[in-house]
Amino acid sequence: MKLEIKDLYAGIDGKAIIKGANLSMKEGEVHVIMGPNGSGKTTLAKTIFGYPSVKVTQGDVLVDGKSILGLTTDKRAALGLFLGFQYPVEIEGVGFVNFLRASKEAVSQSQANMKELMKDIKVWSGELKMDDSIIGRALNKGLSGGEKKKAEILQMILQRPKIAILDEPDSGLDIDAIKVVAENINKAIEETGVGMLVITHYNRILSYMHPQHVHIMVNGKIVADGSKELIEKLEKEGYESFDHR
Amino acid sequence: MAVIGEQFVGQTSNEYREKYGFSDKIDYKFKTKKGLSEDIVREISRIKSEPSWMLEKRLTGYRIFKSKPMPTWGADLSGINFDDIYYYLRPTDNKSSSWDSVPEEIKKTFDKLGIPEAERKFFAGAEAQYDSEVVYHNVREDLERQGVIFTDTDTAVQKYPGLMKKYFGEIIPPTDNKFAALNTAVWSGGSFIYVPKGIKLTMPLQAYFRINAEKAGQFERTLIIADEGADVTYIEGCLPADELINKGDSLQRIAEVKEGEMVQTHTGKFHKIQKKFVHHHSGMMLEILPLSKANGFKLTGEHPVLCIKRNTVLTKRRPRKSWNPEVSTLALLKAEPKFVRADDLREGDFIVYVAPTLSEQSQEFDDITLKILGLYLAEGSVSSNRALGGIKSVAFSFGKSKKEAELATKLNTWIHEKGWKASMYKSKRGYYTVTSYDKELIDLCDNHCGRGAELKLLSQKIMRLPPQKQKILIDAYWEGNGSVHERNGKKMLRASTASRLLAYQIQEILARAGIFSNLNLRRGSIDFIFGRKIMRRDQYIIEYAEGREMGEVRGRGNQFFVPIKHIKRYYFDGDVYNFSVARDESYLVKGFAVHNCTAPIYVSSSLHSAVVELVAHKHAHIRYVTIQNWSKNVYNLVTQRAFAYESAHVEWFDGNIGSATNMKYPSVYLKERGAKGDIVSIAVAGEKQVQDSGGKMLHLAPDTTSSIISKSVSKGSGITTYRGLIHVAKNASNVKSAVRCDALLLDENSVTNTYPYMDVQRDDATITHEATVGKIGEDELFYLMSRGLSEEEAMATIVLGFIEPLAKALPLEYSIELKRLIKLDTSNSVG
Repeated sequence: MKLEIKDLYAGIDGKAIIKGANLSMKEGEVHVIMGPNGSGKTTLAKTIFGYPSVKVTQGDVLVDGKSILGLTTDKRAALGLFLGFQYPVEIEGVGFVNFLRASKEAVSQSQANMKELMKDIKVWSGELKMDDSIIGRALNKGLSGGEKKKAEILQMILQRPKIAILDEPDSGLDIDAIKVVAENINKAIEETGVGMLVITHYNRILSYMHPQHVHIMVNGKIVADGSKELIEKLEKEGYESFDHR
Repeated sequence: MAVIGEQFVGQTSNEYREKYGFSDKIDYKFKTKKGLSEDIVREISRIKSEPSWMLEKRLTGYRIFKSKPMPTWGADLSGINFDDIYYYLRPTDNKSSSWDSVPEEIKKTFDKLGIPEAERKFFAGAEAQYDSEVVYHNVREDLERQGVIFTDTDTAVQKYPGLMKKYFGEIIPPTDNKFAALNTAVWSGGSFIYVPKGIKLTMPLQAYFRINAEKAGQFERTLIIADEGADVTYIEGCLPADELINKGDSLQRIAEVKEGEMVQTHTGKFHKIQKKFVHHHSGMMLEILPLSKANGFKLTGEHPVLCIKRNTVLTKRRPRKSWNPEVSTLALLKAEPKFVRADDLREGDFIVYVAPTLSEQSQEFDDITLKILGLYLAEGSVSSNRALGGIKSVAFSFGKSKKEAELATKLNTWIHEKGWKASMYKSKRGYYTVTSYDKELIDLCDNHCGRGAELKLLSQKIMRLPPQKQKILIDAYWEGNGSVHERNGKKMLRASTASRLLAYQIQEILARAGIFSNLNLRRGSIDFIFGRKIMRRDQYIIEYAEGREMGEVRGRGNQFFVPIKHIKRYYFDGDVYNFSVARDESYLVKGFAVHNCTAPIYVSSSLHSAVVELVAHKHAHIRYVTIQNWSKNVYNLVTQRAFAYESAHVEWFDGNIGSATNMKYPSVYLKERGAKGDIVSIAVAGEKQVQDSGGKMLHLAPDTTSSIISKSVSKGSGITTYRGLIHVAKNASNVKSAVRCDALLLDENSVTNTYPYMDVQRDDATITHEATVGKIGEDELFYLMSRGLSEEEAMATIVLGFIEPLAKALPLEYSIELKRLIKLDTSNSVG
């Protein structure tokens, strides 16, 4: 699968947020978007998934050469895209396992093998060092920030997407948890060949990961593309040096 | 979105027509003509041969009904045509006292309702209202013995005029509102319940109603009185049997049990299985492992299990490090077990092992016979010798110790005393064997104890013997098979058997003798004896300590409270079972009491206008549960009110899903110090439905508390309205009241209103009111859709989740039905 963002402009309530973003990635590749708060990283992710109040004013998002802007969010997911949220919502009264099953079935358009699913949940929640009481819980309800983030990774792994976009999978996590999350992301990449687009503004998680491509986003634009060395430059010079407004 | 709504309503009403909206041809013995007049009121009273005081009440009600205008507030009631309604229908001559005498047409109707033999589906005795009259009614004997009155209201007028004169219309006088007046004039049927001082009913009482004739009205009148310290739960309505999703144990045995067979219920008595349900279940399964591990059983999360929650019986002592909080034996022995969803069980909670109470004397077994059978269980086997033309023999094999030799000799003597032939010999290796070819002895062993180590099983006759008789058999069994060892200065007795069923039987017999024994499974394994590879069979180890010392287990009467040690959850895919059991509606799974899942509801008609009056005297508790799911052409206008006296507690659980227009505001008058009222209200308004509901709390005395929780969902053009009143009187000091109403809107054009009236005449009252109106949030939908759920699926998911916290508190069958109805709603909209 190939995901392309072409000269994308988008905004919310008439306010322009994404102002010319370009990015191209394939299954199996690991990309990172870094950028300061408010630079439009989350909106970019939401645009890719068709968040209703984000309006695209120019440009396109393509999967395997075809525009996906006309598709509803669920149809985009069915293509094999996954979005890990920065702030996963809590939904009262919805059982986590039932939800996983429903989502898996919706994406795969076939009946889930529950035995396998339960096994996978047990194995991966163990890998992620999660409390397995999550199995009996409502969706994200009562989970700490860190647990919610882990639950997103768990969902990503179980969903088996072709390309996953993880919006700040590291925020709100302590150092140990960051390491666990990063290791599991790596493992998922290794085992399933998923393409990964990680959005972050810290490089701590990146010290455990091996991104081949780094993109810097400032003020709604991708202002630099490069390899891991870009991170070092960023370390030294800060985002300001990339801001060519 | 509106189109989706249309579709839903269309489908549902079709389903209703097909499934529940049918109308059988019934030969009505009495039928008043359409419309209402003083003559009709008199005629109703005459047909019922009522005393004059009731006729007077009816006539008063009629006059008030005529004089009162239609309410000008609330929902639009202009569609009601009072002249186009039959006010009284009576299908048969006599009230039937047994199911057999219920007319065929009526039975057929019950069949269609999924209540094949309605009498058998009752929790604790209930009544069926067929149109305006009760056709069948059944009260459990033990309720009667306790002085509980549970009858239809018509019978109550005849049999309990004292109580009826005192309370009828006292809580809701006909002057209250036009529909209460109408009900007073033309009421028929309904339930009358009186629970005497201090009587606490653990099982809910239940009734269900249905209107059969088109354009018939249903005007039942319900009056419930809980005297000082009494406790009662009443459930109105029912669910179709074919909708049950509930399951029992997945044990092979349960799969094999047939309808019509007897099973033991949580009361320790035996009742017939009226109906067996088999369902495919693919999902979560729980395994409950009590202290006695081999008694562990599996069931689904919704299934209710008889239980005492650990946290209700704790000592005041500070918990010790890493110990479970300590339980007060006194509190435990006083606690009343309740049925709790398996989901809500926790490790440490006590579940209830029940010993059967039924016993029958049988002349067939004298003491010696029982001793022989006991030894047969331990050491015997029946075999047939093919070489000798299939001649059968029974052999008892003993060890080579001196004790074993003595036992073999004793057995030989007993057999001869009974006049049977047998011989005893010692093998080359020194083992003792007693063999007999006596047909009578062989048949006795075969018929009452089974043959082959794994298939040994005691006959029903033996299982029904009085405990002291059974003890003789068990003692002999122990002598042959058991071992005794000391542990902490106590004598521990232990035996093992390869027969799983026998192990449970022995446990049951011991329980009847007041002993709780631990049952554990030792898995079979491959072993080597003299270099030869053998497969050891699974062994069930039965163990108990002498005396009534039972470790963490406590016993009361025929019940033992056994702590749960572990709860496992796992995925299950296969058939699961559930029974409907006569009378008690419960059964035992490996000795532990679980509830069956039951119930029904239904109707099709134009006006339902009931009156429900509750009186909770000092320290009494009443819980009234109803979910109305009338077909979508019914005006449901019901007045429900409770008086709560000193420290009494009244709970209304009110679910409104059906009907075209619903107006219902249960209320509690907190009349004396310390009284408490709770209302939980759920309303779902689909296309063109109006759900106008809520609750009223009148604080008329000091230290009274109340809560109202309302959750409503509006879809399409559906309108939900919360209408509530909190009144605090001048003399009512230190009042606390909390109101919370949450509304969820599914569409742009769906509507919800909130009218919280407050009339607070004191400064020291603590009143909180919270209200939220949620549209289905963009973020929630987006989140679910990003995981592949369609918009409609996402919406259904959110709605079910919104209702879940309240649905969970509902009695099981309603919780399931409620969710099913809502799911139907939303799943139909997936196009």
